[in-house]
Amino acid sequence: MRKETKLTVNNLKISFRTDAGKVQAVRNISFDLYEGETLAIVGESGSGKSVTSKAIMGISAGNSILEGGEILYNGQDLLRIPEAEMHKLRGDKVAMIFQDPLSSLNPIMRIGRQITEAMLLKNKANRKEGRATFNSTMALLSETVKEAIAQDPNAGFTAAEVDSYVKAFDSFGTGALKLENGYNAACTAAEELVSIVEDYLFLAEKKQKVDVVSTLGLVEHKLKDMAESKFFAGRYEQQINEHLAGLKDVKRIEKAKVTIGDSFKRVVHMTAVRKDPERETVELLEQIRQTAEKMIAQEEYDFFSVGYYLNKNPNEDLSAMPVEQVNAMANEFFKDNFLTAFTDMERIAVRHSSAKALENKKKAIGTLQEAIDFFKAGNFTEQNAKEVYKNATKSVMASIDNLTVVKDNVAHTFGGALEREVDNYFFYIKNNPKEELRFARQTAKREALLAKGKQVDWQVVPKSIIEPEEQIETIVRVISRVLDKFKADIENEQTIDVDKRCTELIEFLKSKASQMVDVLTKRIAKEKAIKLMEEVGIPEARVRYRQYPFEFSGGMRQRIVIAIALSANPDILICDEPTTALDVTIQAQILELINRLKEQHNLSIIFITHDLGVVANMADRIAVMYAGKIVEYGTAKEVFYNPKHPYTWALLASMPDLDTNEKLDAIPGTPPNMIYPPVGDAFAERNKYALEIDFEQDPPMFEVSPTHYAATWLLHPNAPKVEMPKIITERIKRMEERGDKRGE
Amino acid sequence: MVNNNEVLLKVDHLCQYFSMGHKDMKAVDDVSFEIKKGEAFGLVGESGCGKTTTGRTIIKLNEITSGNVYFKGQRVCAGTRSYKDAIKQAKKDFSEKKITREELSEIVSKNKVLIREAKASGKDIDKNYAKSLLEELNAEFAQKFESAKDNPQQLKALKKEYKVRQRVAKNSKLITRIQMIFQDPIASLDPRMTVRDIIAEGLVIQGITDKEYINEKVYEILEMVGLVREHADRYPHEFSGGQRQRIGIARAVIMQPEMIIADEPISALDVSIQAQVINLLNDLRDRLGLTILFIAHDLSVVKYFSDRIGVMYFGKMVELADSDELFKNPLHPYTRSLLSAIPLPDPIYEKQRTRVTYNPLVEHDYSVDQPTFREISPGHFVQCNDAEEAKYRQMLK
Repeated sequence: MRKETKLTVNNLKISFRTDAGKVQAVRNISFDLYEGETLAIVGESGSGKSVTSKAIMGISAGNSILEGGEILYNGQDLLRIPEAEMHKLRGDKVAMIFQDPLSSLNPIMRIGRQITEAMLLKNKANRKEGRATFNSTMALLSETVKEAIAQDPNAGFTAAEVDSYVKAFDSFGTGALKLENGYNAACTAAEELVSIVEDYLFLAEKKQKVDVVSTLGLVEHKLKDMAESKFFAGRYEQQINEHLAGLKDVKRIEKAKVTIGDSFKRVVHMTAVRKDPERETVELLEQIRQTAEKMIAQEEYDFFSVGYYLNKNPNEDLSAMPVEQVNAMANEFFKDNFLTAFTDMERIAVRHSSAKALENKKKAIGTLQEAIDFFKAGNFTEQNAKEVYKNATKSVMASIDNLTVVKDNVAHTFGGALEREVDNYFFYIKNNPKEELRFARQTAKREALLAKGKQVDWQVVPKSIIEPEEQIETIVRVISRVLDKFKADIENEQTIDVDKRCTELIEFLKSKASQMVDVLTKRIAKEKAIKLMEEVGIPEARVRYRQYPFEFSGGMRQRIVIAIALSANPDILICDEPTTALDVTIQAQILELINRLKEQHNLSIIFITHDLGVVANMADRIAVMYAGKIVEYGTAKEVFYNPKHPYTWALLASMPDLDTNEKLDAIPGTPPNMIYPPVGDAFAERNKYALEIDFEQDPPMFEVSPTHYAATWLLHPNAPKVEMPKIITERIKRMEERGDKRGE
Repeated sequence: MVNNNEVLLKVDHLCQYFSMGHKDMKAVDDVSFEIKKGEAFGLVGESGCGKTTTGRTIIKLNEITSGNVYFKGQRVCAGTRSYKDAIKQAKKDFSEKKITREELSEIVSKNKVLIREAKASGKDIDKNYAKSLLEELNAEFAQKFESAKDNPQQLKALKKEYKVRQRVAKNSKLITRIQMIFQDPIASLDPRMTVRDIIAEGLVIQGITDKEYINEKVYEILEMVGLVREHADRYPHEFSGGQRQRIGIARAVIMQPEMIIADEPISALDVSIQAQVINLLNDLRDRLGLTILFIAHDLSVVKYFSDRIGVMYFGKMVELADSDELFKNPLHPYTRSLLSAIPLPDPIYEKQRTRVTYNPLVEHDYSVDQPTFREISPGHFVQCNDAEEAKYRQMLK
């Protein structure tokens, strides 16, 4: 069964600028991450595993240089999208858990605030963004329609009509929003009410001091808030009123209890009437909570339809009807009176917009072809080149259909990518002679020193040169990628489904509108946070919510970090050595937790570690990294039971398991200095199975099975037969025996 | 592996409390074990269970609270808390009329003597050790002086050597025969000292001033731990993690210790380097006949490295046995839970592994019968009470 690919990394290349030279941290790695699977990246420190994960998150260090490759998520290249777009993904779609929980938590902030902080900020930003996007999309729509009408007077609409429709959408839209806002406010009040009551009950159960009077006051306040939105409270009016009356009673008694010193008699009198006032309070609060929960659980209205309906028939009372009925009725009405006409209008806009885009694409093809020819001819000045790429960018940008909801990534990132490559070209033209000179000078110096018989413990920094022709090829590749895409688009001209796009657009507008009024208050955020904390296995979450990070043990801290990562409901979770700082028992707990959450949320996980035992537990597939390259990758079974690369052998042989008695096969030496990446296979120097060719040529990936690849010359058909180290073969035999025993 | 029964280190009811203002934090509480000569003894447990504190107390980096530590049959450190508590208890008993005045005074005087002895032993032990070294030296040189009587030049040289050796002997302490390797090689090496200075520091403190002798010694040790002479003049930051740990080991080995306390020597190292350091420690152990107290939380490494293993839980030793025996027949529920949490490089096994959780409140009922540390089968000790002892014996059958 082939799973859906969530994330694709292609030929990623990252270096770091340091004083000593350029460190090549990641050299050309590619992998896919499937939905709902765990991909483990294994390797020692400095092998580039963290660098890769940071690049995915878009948090690479300041001195990093992105040399090439792409990271595709949802059709977007995470390396090239602007920071504003990345901002929406980071933490929201792609979340990360770091190695040391203490250093990723703020020591002077309560845990609760740290969990809710991101939720609240994100909510605020979403509201703002929703409003802006709604307005701009609406304006674009009306503009496009008007343009279309101006060209084709027989379209069936006049400009005035368009204006009126847009205005109507706006006005009843506002009405609908008011409705939704009221509904949301009531729901918020109800949710907060639940939270207040739970807080109270929790503290009362713990026999801790609670300010009963003020709690009751808060409850009363929230009840009134709930009743405020007439449209929804109608159904609950009676209950709410009953609760309010009950509250009044209870409040009086509690108040009396507080002032017990002054009016003892009255209290005695009242307690005579009511046997157990405390229980009464609790019971009443329970009842109120139930009402509130019922209210939260009720079905949502179709706000736009209902809003339109109420706009036209302002005097009708819908609160008595069941929600589905109201929705159906309002929907019908909305469709008949408005939506059909509006969709017609929209259709014109979409058609016009896509036609225009197509037209522009046809034009752009010419421009792009010219640009390709221009760059291919070579021999251009900086000014000329700039003009050409600006022109090309302009024509490409003009050919983007702005009324599509899903944006065309290739065209959007074209400008930036082209500009960078062109800049690079001139940089290398300028820099190449200097680099040659430096290289020659350093080599001469080294040789001179060596000739004198002195010891030289430094090496010549290799040339970082890119030939202009190569760079031009890269530029042409960038342009032709867009060109091919455009050509394909023009061919598929007829396949545009206008109706589908229209509904998409309306849904988009509606969702953006309701984003504006989706308010998350601190209290609700708290309730959500407490639920999350319980989910990751923190006992007494309500107490711990108010504690500081130092009051937690290591394992609990890591759970908090996981809770924060999960608070945004991400698609992809990157775990960067999440258990290295933890004990065996705690480690096992955290791994179990991550596995459970993966099942529950259908997460795709990238799990980075150097502990092969942990990997065996977690991973569905494994990528072994060494010196910035993936040297072997396959499913967990394949890598552990049938390892092919000598580095994987060495890793397996260098760690003892419970049955190991013989001397460990330590890997001699240390990883190579990546300022001077070795020629050929980077592992050759430490590899006792190294062949001569390993020192000359980098091995390609050889296929072992369709899911299992390894980069070692030993897999070449002409290579000599080499056996795995004894320590591993014996271990695998033991493992298989154990497996057989279990199978019986 | 170890055939002799000579006990090198004996830890006897060791308690190490840290004052936390109003109450004591019992980091190590009543731990007893013996380490035989030439043996590798592993100490495991989760972080905060007191295994590192035990190591540090043995080497006198902490002020011992109560209990005794014997090294080569001599008491190197002793705490006084237990005696003081005994006096307190006696006084309380007396006030409640459980014991007579005579009994009280007897207990008080007995314990006071013990306290005095304990306090004195820390000082006396070094004095006595220096004295015995001096005596050995005198005996050795008396012979040499005798033979060189006729040769004044040789006599002069001998006298000079004698003086140096005498100074060293006077400065020697028994406790330096135990050396420690620390967890974090970066934090435990002074960044402003060259490797030569770091390794030679112990010798310099002992009073050796002969530069050539020191250099030779340093080179010898460097080569022994797998570094080269040229490394002596470099600084710690110029080395990789594994090499730094080698320097830490060299610093410990140069003092010619009989015992090394290795406090998580590999947990800060890379996977590929860990095996190098383990192999090095094993080599040194064979070559120098070292006894090693190996503290770690990685159970597979401890199993691989140690002959006997002690499991600690919240300051108490809960189980102690031969490493094979411990892994074959874990008795204490905590040990079982710990063993069930070890991740192994075997995906099929890992997918099926079920972890045993340990909750002391559920597992034990110590409301009536308090547990003690008992020998269930030869060499296999468990912390248990009567009921549990019967159960464990049943399990072993």
